[in-house]
Amino acid sequence: MNTGQIISGAGHLALMGWALFGGAFQSEPLPFQVTEVTAISAEEFAALSNAPNNPEAVANVDTPEPPAEGEGVPELSATEDATPEMSQPEASETPPADTVPEPQEPPAPLPEAEVSDAPPVLTPPEEDVAALVPEVSPRPQPRPAPRVAPEPVAQPDPDVEIDEVDQQETTPDAEAAETVEEDTRETAREEATTEIVTEAEENDLASAAPTRSPRPRTRPETPATEAEPTQDAPAPSEPETDENAVNNALAEALGQGQAQTGGTDQGAPSGPPLTAGEKDALRVAVQNCWNVGSLSSEALRTTVVVSVTMSEDSRPVTSSIEMLSASGGSGSAAKQAYEAARRAIIRCGASGFNLPKDKYDHWRNIEMTFNPERMRIK
Amino acid sequence: MKHYVMTLLAALMLWTLPAVAQNGPLRLELTEGVIEPMPFAVPEFVADDAAGAEMGRRIAQVVAADLTGTGLFREIPQDAFISRVTSFSSPVQFADWKAINAQALVTGAVTLDSTGKLVVRFRLYDVFAGQELGDGLQLVGTQDGWRRIAHKVADQVYSRITGEAPYFDSRVVFVSETGPKDQRAKRLAIMDYDGANVSYLTGSSSIVLAPRFSPSGDRILYTSYESGFPRIYVMNVGSAQRRALEQQEGSMSFAPRFAPDGRTVVYSMTRGGNTDLYSMDINSGAGTRLTTAPSIETAPSFSPDGRRIVFESDRSGNQQLYVMPANGGEAQRISFGQGRYGTPVWSPRGDLIAFTKQSKGRFHIGVMRVDGSEERLLTASFLEEGPTWSPNGRVIMFTRETQGAQGSASLYSVDITGRNLREVPTDTGASDPSWSPLQD
Repeated sequence: MNTGQIISGAGHLALMGWALFGGAFQSEPLPFQVTEVTAISAEEFAALSNAPNNPEAVANVDTPEPPAEGEGVPELSATEDATPEMSQPEASETPPADTVPEPQEPPAPLPEAEVSDAPPVLTPPEEDVAALVPEVSPRPQPRPAPRVAPEPVAQPDPDVEIDEVDQQETTPDAEAAETVEEDTRETAREEATTEIVTEAEENDLASAAPTRSPRPRTRPETPATEAEPTQDAPAPSEPETDENAVNNALAEALGQGQAQTGGTDQGAPSGPPLTAGEKDALRVAVQNCWNVGSLSSEALRTTVVVSVTMSEDSRPVTSSIEMLSASGGSGSAAKQAYEAARRAIIRCGASGFNLPKDKYDHWRNIEMTFNPERMRIK
Repeated sequence: MKHYVMTLLAALMLWTLPAVAQNGPLRLELTEGVIEPMPFAVPEFVADDAAGAEMGRRIAQVVAADLTGTGLFREIPQDAFISRVTSFSSPVQFADWKAINAQALVTGAVTLDSTGKLVVRFRLYDVFAGQELGDGLQLVGTQDGWRRIAHKVADQVYSRITGEAPYFDSRVVFVSETGPKDQRAKRLAIMDYDGANVSYLTGSSSIVLAPRFSPSGDRILYTSYESGFPRIYVMNVGSAQRRALEQQEGSMSFAPRFAPDGRTVVYSMTRGGNTDLYSMDINSGAGTRLTTAPSIETAPSFSPDGRRIVFESDRSGNQQLYVMPANGGEAQRISFGQGRYGTPVWSPRGDLIAFTKQSKGRFHIGVMRVDGSEERLLTASFLEEGPTWSPNGRVIMFTRETQGAQGSASLYSVDITGRNLREVPTDTGASDPSWSPLQD
């Protein structure tokens, strides 16, 4: 290697080193002064330079002369001012004599006030409620109907057949004559209300409208200053505790376990479990036939757990229905409650519940808890 | 570290869980049913001959009317029946009854035994379960008493299905009213709970008020103006014999009611311009003063256990309800709503007190808990008062009077839920009902 190549290599290394590490040795920039300027147009500059000068002070000011003596003095007239006529009030007829007030019975003596040493409890002044809310709640009130059900149903047309479901009547259609459609009669659910309406409450319905209208509200004095929490703000997350972690792990593992064992274990149900909607549909179907109207007060305080085995055509096996447990009432009350529950399962299951056949293993055995707590006095 | 240990434990536990979880039944909780009358069918009771058939038809009608009258049942008319019951012992065709949605079925048979007694047998079926509800039962009575037998059949059906105590085989004593309002004749009358079999206990020569049955149903207390001023009488229902109770000179007694023991009577007595409550041994006539307030205390009613009395008083300035120990003592006010409360009556079950309330120009019959809570108004009209409980504490009967000079009084009944308000049919005007206990 000759000297030239060594010098060239050293120079290149130095250049590369400066390029790579030169930033570490940068010196601070020199201080410099910054002045703000504003750019304006030529017209604006001209307008600024031709601005009117300040007004000059005027030395000579015209002072008004004082008026000459005797000038403009009004003459006094010698005649007296006419006296304005005073209208006299007409004499009224003789006033009737004062009637002697009839002696009235003294008001009934007030009941003696009870004096107590205890200081009265002062209640804070109420807000102007009358101005804010009407006297009668405007929310819809239940109308009397012979049937009380979770969902209110309007009175159906008298010609319409009463059934468990609403159904439109099929009408012959000339254009669609080729398609054979099963004849269906129009049906409607029986009229129902959500609460028992007594005669006393029924009369209140007539006066359900507000008895007076609210006064217009005053304008707010100051705008609200408190900043409302924005929706974008993240919800405070629950701190992860050991318990949560265990629960999460349980849920996760359970899900995985189900997925893993789903189709392999012959004794376990196959397919996915019933969805919440499918469970709700079954619950509503049974509830529609669960008539607690003929139960005693004690039976209405009794919760029964009933088990039933279902056949594959989604009908209950009547002989399989049995009461597993009862709570809240005597033995006879539990018997009445169980019989009402059994009737509900059999009646509404007579034509088969709407259950997914591919999930039969999941609904082969059902345990239903009939809790009439919310049905006692509605 | 702890976190990982617990997670590991959970995973170990879960290793065995999937099979258990998957094999369990589907679990549902039902909290909202429906409240509606239960459809039932009562075919005519079968009989061997024409006379028995007529009796069987009548008995079936009364049974059906009793059940329908509760508001808890709905009768399916006979012309809707698919199958006929021709023999009491033949099996029931449940499919035919299911088809017309009959949830309960009552079948029966009527025969006359060798002594001329009426023999009635019946069975109750749960149609959809396809089985009998309870055992079949046989009742024997006189032919004249066929209505009572029918009521007893209905009582059995009612109790087996609802679980409530029966009440159809009971009677009501009331004041029968005839004539215009200013010259109204009043006399005591007694009838079946449904308005049938009316008979009169007194003449119409004097005014009678507020009859009350004894706990055993064999005697009646009532107030009469026979002597020109109110006085309490006790009458034997069977013989219609009566006698006046002991009364102090210069006093007026009214609003009597039996204690549950049947030996003591509690009532109001006005003396010296003040009205207080008193109790009296009905045999000896020995009396005890229970209240000493300067206000008016009246309308006492015992609790079923005989330990407390509910009554009305205006000691607070207007008419309210109070409860005190049966032997007197400090009274506790239990009504605090707006309006006036009166004529309280303790339920035979002991859980509720029925009352009359006057508020905003209208009268109501209502019920409240014995501590005054959960007040519930059941009815509303121009004028109504005087509630009385059915023997099972499920139904209340009361007087309702219509407005105007031609207005008349009649009896109504209502379920304690406020449903099933019905007029009790009577031939004349009727007021002041008192429901008897269940007959033996």
